Amino acid sequence: MFRLRTNLTDPVTFSFEGRRLTASRGDTLAAALLASGVFIFRNSPVSSAPRAPFCMIGNCYECFVQVEAMGVVQACLTEVTEGMQITKVSNQIDELGMDIKEVSKE
Amino acid sequence: MTTQLPLCDVAVIGAGPAGLTAACELAESGRDVVVLDEQGAPGGQIYKGVEKVFADRPQDIRPLGREYAEGKTLTRRFRQSGARYQPGVSVWQITSDQEPDLALGLIENGSARMLHPKHVILATGAMERPTPFEGWTLPGVMTVGAAQTLLKSSRLLPEDDVVLAGTGPLLYLYVMQLKKFGIRPQAILDTGPPLSLRTSLLGLRALITCPQAMFQGMRWLWGAGVKTNMTRGVDSLKAQGGDHLSSVSYEARGRRHELSTSLLLVHDGVIPNTWLSMSAGIKHHFNETQNCWVPEIQGAGLTSRDCISIVGDAAGIGGAEVAMLQGERVAREVDAYLEDHQHPQTSIESGVLRRQRWMRSFIDEAFPSTAQFQSPENDIVVCRCEEVTAGEIRQVTERGCMGPNQGKAFTRCGMGPCMGRKCGLTVSRLMAQVRGVSVQEVGHYRIRSPIRPITVGQLADMESILKGDNQSVLSANSS
Ligand SMILES: Cc1cc2nc3c(=O)[nH]c(=O)nc-3n(C[C@H](O)[C@@H](O)[C@H](O)COP(=O)(O)OP(=O)(O)OC[C@H]3O[C@@H](n4cnc5c(N)ncnc54)[C@H](O)[C@@H]3O)c2cc1C
Ligand code: FES
Repeated sequence: MFRLRTNLTDPVTFSFEGRRLTASRGDTLAAALLASGVFIFRNSPVSSAPRAPFCMIGNCYECFVQVEAMGVVQACLTEVTEGMQITKVSNQIDELGMDIKEVSKE
Repeated sequence: MTTQLPLCDVAVIGAGPAGLTAACELAESGRDVVVLDEQGAPGGQIYKGVEKVFADRPQDIRPLGREYAEGKTLTRRFRQSGARYQPGVSVWQITSDQEPDLALGLIENGSARMLHPKHVILATGAMERPTPFEGWTLPGVMTVGAAQTLLKSSRLLPEDDVVLAGTGPLLYLYVMQLKKFGIRPQAILDTGPPLSLRTSLLGLRALITCPQAMFQGMRWLWGAGVKTNMTRGVDSLKAQGGDHLSSVSYEARGRRHELSTSLLLVHDGVIPNTWLSMSAGIKHHFNETQNCWVPEIQGAGLTSRDCISIVGDAAGIGGAEVAMLQGERVAREVDAYLEDHQHPQTSIESGVLRRQRWMRSFIDEAFPSTAQFQSPENDIVVCRCEEVTAGEIRQVTERGCMGPNQGKAFTRCGMGPCMGRKCGLTVSRLMAQVRGVSVQEVGHYRIRSPIRPITVGQLADMESILKGDNQSVLSANSS
């Protein structure tokens, strides 16, 4: 998909699903993961089909991931930091979905 | 009680060319301006990451191009303007005109707070038009803008097997940039029509009035066409794969072709990002030429709500140059309004701005949106979040559903986390086709706050802020 980067400037270490990875400081989580060869970010709560970032500017919400101590975030709008522990969301999406419905009720 | 909350003269939402220009003008003339943007650095979509590229990757400035490098002048001016800058902040609410005070609901690092400006300038920019086709939800399929964002902000380059499909200037700009980074895509599948006489005439007018921009455009097209595998008149695009994209197939000149690839980038032009303006109750109409919803604007950036102006691509697609020219005009208009609460006589559009508009009418004509994406077949998913197909939308419309809001109740279409950003245009279009009426008549999803998913916990925080138990303070131009 994307070329692996070598010679990272100012590298930071983080993990995805327990796998230790590195990225450049200032990368968004989405860039950091894609650059490390992670292609599947989450599964659709409807069909469980795999999903990955689509728009990279905060509009499609395909990049939802779970970050320890932060909760569910959009990976394309969140900066990676040293030691960040990231995991996939699946059922949490449902929770978030419920919240949306809760507040946008007429 | 509400007066204890953070105040300012003007809140500008969006730190792209439009918002930054308006903010600089107002701050330099002494107004207290706060600029909010959900990205981590100023520049908006066109100048994404420009400060970082200059600081850490100066070798990338040349391949990204002169237009990109110009962004640095703007961000430098902004940093010195005195405007307060709040990166990483999402605006999820503008209070309605029924509320006594104008206020913005913000989320930063997962917690919610409010801001009370006297005036709001929406400079929320554009987003890429939805491109529903078979396989567009597969990992390995993304938009051209997404890939270009990854290049600007993180120097991510696609592998050589990359395939690009669709139409629009951004696609060719990206191909040109890739070329300068030494990457020649496997194929460019152009879904646009052949050049018509009308397009050529508009092109000629644009060439005479904006020669620089036209030559630049021709350079992109020429650069893309030379030594790349470009096919025109592409139709019936499909993406195939199991857990990940493995191949792309399409029709051209009556024959079906297939290419194996791990990355397909699609693009079909950009449309205004109207979620905030719609949620604020501002009037919008459907622009058939640009195939998108646009807010109704008077003067430079005035809307049906006195305290809200709109500028840049959020007000109608015009490009970065127009966004900056408009930013100046809107700033003057807002400044005068804050002075005496009278809307000033609007300044006449400058010749430059008029010529830019001619350029835009050529672009609109030369890159019309792709027919395949406007009328997807029945089995194609249009709502990515709830996985609702075009067939389901057609079926409920045939059964008497009049518009997208009613459609939500039957299909859940538009009710996922993206709140219709990736299906709104398609659903209105499909319903209009079935009913045989205009998109304007069918209407758009009714957009309400919160325009971003917000948790019940964050809402509770907001309530305690409103009760005065929790004070959040804005810091000055920080990061
Ligand atoms: C992905 C993408 C890439 C593009 N790349 C180019 C390019 O390279 N060259 C080119 O000529 N044109 C490009 N364009 C076209 C683009 O629209 C430009 O014309 C220009 O960036 C428009 O300027 P603007 O100031 O109107 O908005 P933008 O530059 O889009 O800025 C809008 C800003 O508003 C912020 N925002 C939006 N909603 C909210 C909210 N609710 N809360 C907080 N912040 C918010 C966004 O984060 C963004 O930074 C691109 C468009 C897209 C969608
Ligand atoms: S990739 Fe679309 S919201 Fe993050």
